[in-house]
Amino acid sequence: MNEKISIRDLKFFYGNALALKGINIPLYANKVTAFIGPSGCGKSTLLRVLNRMYDLYPNQHAEGQVLFDGRNILDPSVDLNLLRARIGMVFQKPTPFPMTIYDNIAFGLKLYETLSKSELDGRVEDALKRAALWTEVKDKLNANGLSLSGGQQQRLCIARTVAIKPEVILFDEPCSALDPISTAKIEELIDELKHDYTIAIVTHNMQQAARVSEHTAFMYLGELVEFDETSKIFTAPRDSRTQDYITGRFG
Amino acid sequence: MVDHTVRAYDDELMEIGRKISEMGGIAETMLTNAIDALVKGDTELAQRVIATDPKLDALEREIEEKAVLTIARRQPMAIDLRALVSAIRIASDIERIGDLAKNVGKRVVAMDGQFAPQKIVGGVVHISDLALERLHRVLGAYAQRDLNAALDVWQHDEEIDQLYNSLFRELLTYMMEDPRNIGFCTHLLFSAKNIERIGDHATNIAETIHYLVKGEAITADRPRVSGAYEPLSLG
Repeated sequence: MNEKISIRDLKFFYGNALALKGINIPLYANKVTAFIGPSGCGKSTLLRVLNRMYDLYPNQHAEGQVLFDGRNILDPSVDLNLLRARIGMVFQKPTPFPMTIYDNIAFGLKLYETLSKSELDGRVEDALKRAALWTEVKDKLNANGLSLSGGQQQRLCIARTVAIKPEVILFDEPCSALDPISTAKIEELIDELKHDYTIAIVTHNMQQAARVSEHTAFMYLGELVEFDETSKIFTAPRDSRTQDYITGRFG
Repeated sequence: MVDHTVRAYDDELMEIGRKISEMGGIAETMLTNAIDALVKGDTELAQRVIATDPKLDALEREIEEKAVLTIARRQPMAIDLRALVSAIRIASDIERIGDLAKNVGKRVVAMDGQFAPQKIVGGVVHISDLALERLHRVLGAYAQRDLNAALDVWQHDEEIDQLYNSLFRELLTYMMEDPRNIGFCTHLLFSAKNIERIGDHATNIAETIHYLVKGEAITADRPRVSGAYEPLSLG
């Protein structure tokens, strides 16, 4: 299997506090990798390192390597705008821009590319179709993005991410604010998206991790406890801490 | 092992475990009584064995329902998931063991009063003792989650098969000797076959315990006796 991203001995600091204590994980191309673990285990931190979200905060820094197609993205010379175009992120709460559905998607596209009106229309439609939202919004593209339901808003955010054609998509608990039907739609979408993208997902819902991912990483207190095929992790994990966590025996 | 954060979850799993033990105890008693009835020609005891069987069926259904409910309610993972799947499998094996013991009981009822030399009955008793001992050990291995004890049962299945084969030949000799022996010999043969299959179910349970403890199926081949006489399948 081809490693799209290789995380090597990654350490992360919030000020002096060590939040990731030397993590080694591969993210395989066109696969879904799930990150599970109790709150504060470092899984969201890890996701934030992957597109250098932490750069927004001056007292946070990372050490080690995150090789993305062989290039270390922690290198200060990396162009963050281009990096984030290649590694998109979808957050816990839907975050549509306060503008029309159409512009929510066109906005990002116009930042990165110069497109004619018809090209732009095509890309917006394509992105909404990929996010399985097109049939629901095609007649109201000029409605405000915030007028959509929570589940639709989340799919709009996914469409926005997909529109600029990234290679990797990071999902940070994308369904925690959604009802079961919207959740199922997002999961179905993730299943579709992995044909074209490499996906990492952080989730507190273990059944979701079991359903959508090929590989699962269990993290605890800033360490990677176990990384294996998802089928193995959820039926016969090797580490007793993994077992205790996924069976609800923790603390 | 550490308890679940949700205590009711532990209670559910323990309840299912208790029901399996209860089933195991009933099945052991049924087999013991069936053989007792066979040796003594005690039709009444045989009838009681037959009458016990519905209790096992009911328990099996109960375990299955409880396990399905727990799966729906708790979405079990890892060891818990394996424990529930194993409980369903083992309950089904014990239910079959009960059926087979019941069949022996039915043979005793059908044989009612027919002459059977103690020497041959002794052969059936011997197989049955072995089967009982294996059943007892495998149920103990399940209760203790004792992989080694389970593997020990699993590896010694061929003893029963060998005994069955030699008994089969012995009964054939009797039948050839005198056609009047055919009646009781057939009944004894069927009884022995039923008991031999109880041994197979004990082996199944041992395999399930392996899955339960290790999280994977047994991959090794069970030791087989080379050149063993494979009798015709007789029910």
